[in-house]
Amino acid sequence: MRATAVVCLLLLVTGCASAGGDPAARTAARFLSAAAQGRGQQACDLLTPRAAESVDDCATEILSMGLRAGAVGDTQVYGDEAQVRVGGDTVFLHRFPGGWRVRAAGCRPRSGQPYECEVEA
Amino acid sequence: MRRAIRDNALGLCFLLLFLLSLAGQSVSGLAAFNEEQVAQGGAPISWAAYVTSSDFGVDVAENWQSEYLQFFLYILITVWLVQRGSPESKEPGEEGQESDADQKVGRHAGADSPAWARAGGWRLTLFSHSLGAVMGLIFVLSWLAQSVAGVAAYDAERLSRLEDPVGWTTYVTSAEFWNRTLQNWQSEFLAVASMVLLAVFLRERGSPQSKKVGDPHAAPVPGR
Repeated sequence: MRATAVVCLLLLVTGCASAGGDPAARTAARFLSAAAQGRGQQACDLLTPRAAESVDDCATEILSMGLRAGAVGDTQVYGDEAQVRVGGDTVFLHRFPGGWRVRAAGCRPRSGQPYECEVEA
Repeated sequence: MRRAIRDNALGLCFLLLFLLSLAGQSVSGLAAFNEEQVAQGGAPISWAAYVTSSDFGVDVAENWQSEYLQFFLYILITVWLVQRGSPESKEPGEEGQESDADQKVGRHAGADSPAWARAGGWRLTLFSHSLGAVMGLIFVLSWLAQSVAGVAAYDAERLSRLEDPVGWTTYVTSAEFWNRTLQNWQSEFLAVASMVLLAVFLRERGSPQSKKVGDPHAAPVPGR
């Protein structure tokens, strides 16, 4: 990723994939911890507005989706989008002016198709 | 000052047009980008964030590479191929790199010739191909920039669609990359072919890109 950034700089092309994935990973971890520990409202507060609206009675329903906290693994950030592996889960996030918010969680890969997620915007 | 502007008016005009167009592209591109962001439930970004984004980078670089490829190929191919009657071409029989006398190099160089035209050796070889080399280098760098910015923009789009990002090697063999590339190349090649062929039969009075209005269609271009 760093090599990519250097090439970008040399070519005067900026805005490539950011190496600073930690804030996104922290948000994903906080979201899953909140959902796994019964703090539904805190979890819902970390969803994007559209994702939160997609879940009826979010603070309650988010707790029944089987979301689990785990070790943060690979984090990929491109522009204002991020994907974070947490335990066996994959979380997708979007960056807002106020920080990262979860747009999809509880995601499982499907061959040749987008991830299928428990909650998604 | 006024004399300097007048002597360089052509270059300055196109540089100004370039900057105005680039500024316009940044504003219209930002509007389109934010429209899509909001439609997908995201947040709009600032102009500064947009012009330093991979989305803007790939849109700029993909056009640059095709333009420089166009001129690079035209510079090289017109050494060897001709179009009878076109002011964009040498005449039949003149194909090739031409003699040292024709090119005013080595002992045929004039007093006002560039120093490397008289120098001989590697300096003469390098200077003899410097235009094509620089245009070709800019093409390669622009194409590389397109691929680097392109994969970042493409991966952001894939993530927004809840898909895994792909690496650079996958991207440069993808339909997305070649669609962006070839849609630019085809338009450049069509424009060049049109210019070469139409300039045989059509005229623009006063333009050095045209034959004189009264010149015959198929005849050699006078003074060439």
